[in-house]
Amino acid sequence: MHERYLIEASNLSRRFGKSRIFRGISFSVESGECFFITGPNGSGKSTLVQIIAGLQKPSEGKLAIKLNGKEILESLWRHIGFASPAMNLYERLTVYENASFAFRGKDKSLINHYISLFGLGKHKDKEARILSSGLRQRLRLITAMINSPGIVLLDEPGSNLDVEGKDVLFREIEKIKKESLVIIASNDPEELKLCHKGIDLAKQNS
Amino acid sequence: MIRRSLNFVIRGLILQNRIVKLLKKDFYIEFRSRASINISLAFAGITTLSVSLTSATMNLPFRVHSILIWVIIFFSAMNSLSHIFIREEEEGTSIFLSIHSEAEEIYIAKLLFNFILFIVITVVVTPLYLFFMQIWPENFIFFASSVFCGSTALSSITTTLGAIVAKTSMRSSLFTVISFPLTIPVLWISINLTASSLEGGSVDLLNLLFLLAFSGVIVSFSYLLFKFIWMEQ
Repeated sequence: MHERYLIEASNLSRRFGKSRIFRGISFSVESGECFFITGPNGSGKSTLVQIIAGLQKPSEGKLAIKLNGKEILESLWRHIGFASPAMNLYERLTVYENASFAFRGKDKSLINHYISLFGLGKHKDKEARILSSGLRQRLRLITAMINSPGIVLLDEPGSNLDVEGKDVLFREIEKIKKESLVIIASNDPEELKLCHKGIDLAKQNS
Repeated sequence: MIRRSLNFVIRGLILQNRIVKLLKKDFYIEFRSRASINISLAFAGITTLSVSLTSATMNLPFRVHSILIWVIIFFSAMNSLSHIFIREEEEGTSIFLSIHSEAEEIYIAKLLFNFILFIVITVVVTPLYLFFMQIWPENFIFFASSVFCGSTALSSITTTLGAIVAKTSMRSSLFTVISFPLTIPVLWISINLTASSLEGGSVDLLNLLFLLAFSGVIVSFSYLLFKFIWMEQ
């Protein structure tokens, strides 16, 4: 049976202490769809992506992530690929070691494949701490996509990427969104164009 | 039945592979930066040498030697061990870690890393101290067992405390407060056991078992609660 993922969010809100980040967020996305989350700085795009990834809990509301109709209650991380500027890589590990840390499969040639695909082939043995911010972003994207996850969550995926990096990113998103569920949080119109539906947190919070 | 057993074995093997991967990652990072181990070994070397130089002419009782050994081991280890989780938070790598690992795997890997590091520090500190102070335990097996059991208990405590503290904003003060009731009984018993072994006393199996049982309780509770500590925001 083909794996079908479904994310259903109803009335999500998030508060940090007394300050409310967002409220009343409801949406539904499934495999084969690309969903965008946009909004001004501080509107809670990254927080919402982290809630979907299971890294934070919503203050109110319900988020259900289902696989073939059954809610995933354990080991959500096995189904998710995640990249965010808030996610630092291990500075003292090399590009290959960071990618390998994220890799869960058996065919290790895939690690080299993704490293080459994102143009990090000649930096493979360099420690992450000496990479430029653009190259680090490429490495983050590798760790998000290397396991071909059913759900791909990308927070500001194009940040710091050059034209060549963005080309690869867009090509990969076009490829994976046919089968996977992709969520992109961004303000970049180019990135948002990749998705056919989404929410604007500025409108939700107003 | 067979299918369930097979699933159990497969899950065990996957868990083991992930733990090995996490452990390898921590060792690579530690030995490339050498931040924790260098500080600990420097502390151990300096204190041992200072104690031996200042008390070379004195004939210290075995109980005092035991206290000094444990004070040196304890502070050498605490310099590094408490930072194992805090480092993930401070360097912003905890998201990368959480998104690619189960909470239980993280706990077991960190516990093993702490335990190995603690044993390395103990193996360096103890012979160094015995050599500089020119003493030799009357009952060596008892002495080694007391140091091993004490180190095991302390490493399990520091792993759990490190995880709790890493998730709070008042890190250093909280660590001091919550480490007090947990470390005092372990240090107290370890010091007594080591003193007794230096004096040539008979093996105190009950207290050695207490230290191991204490570690067992701490590890079991931490294993069950770690997910809630780690994911709490």
